Amino acid sequence: MTTIKLRSQKLANDTEIKLLISHPMENGRNRDPISGELIPAHFIQELTIQHNGQAVLSVDMGGSMSKNPFFSFRLKNLQSGDLIKASWIDNWQQTDSAEHRIE
Amino acid sequence: MTHSRRIFCTQILKTLIGFSALLASRTGRANWTLEHFSPSLFEDNFKAFYGNQAIIDSADLQLKLPESAENGAVVPITISSDLEQISQIAIWVEKNPTPLAATVQFSSNASIYLTARIKMAESCHVIVIAQQGERLLKTQQWVNVMQGGCGTG
Repeated sequence: MTTIKLRSQKLANDTEIKLLISHPMENGRNRDPISGELIPAHFIQELTIQHNGQAVLSVDMGGSMSKNPFFSFRLKNLQSGDLIKASWIDNWQQTDSAEHRIE
Repeated sequence: MTHSRRIFCTQILKTLIGFSALLASRTGRANWTLEHFSPSLFEDNFKAFYGNQAIIDSADLQLKLPESAENGAVVPITISSDLEQISQIAIWVEKNPTPLAATVQFSSNASIYLTARIKMAESCHVIVIAQQGERLLKTQQWVNVMQGGCGTG
């Protein structure tokens, strides 16, 4: 099961890319309500968007981004059939990626 | 005997340390920088990030945020601009324990447009800085946060 939902929508000039990632984005300062223990920091550090294998946009982030991060971006010059790939890596060195073909 | 074993063990240990350092450097991300995203005071971190570069207030950066946010754990933000040659946009939340929320790097194939959701620990300014060539442009907005605390910042 991928953690990334990736969608696209053609606009007048650009193509909008929307993505939703399932991730706790824990900043390391919250406590477990039952045990009272600190929940270890666990957040995505880098998100990269590629267009046909070439990086077009990247986001560096920390624990101040909301849980289950949502992003939308607008890319230029997309053709139908182009491949968009989103991938992330977190501070536990876990990674995931998803691909989406432009209609 | 004991002596040579000690030397042997030291050698093994040294090799292991060497290997783990190598691995760390291989897997370590070149771009993402721990200091930028560590808990810190906004003023300190901001200064460390931009140094003494001049920052110009700009009306050409559009920033959309709610005037007041019910839940500080999820505050929607939209940033857009028609300016050319913006390479990076940084989102700072003044009063968050980790003030730098994100930096977004744009290639020339990306329009300057982005929406995201940020955490806000308490009411404060959200500051957006765009890098346009050598210039730093700034816009900011105050957001009232009704409920911060757990799960935020």
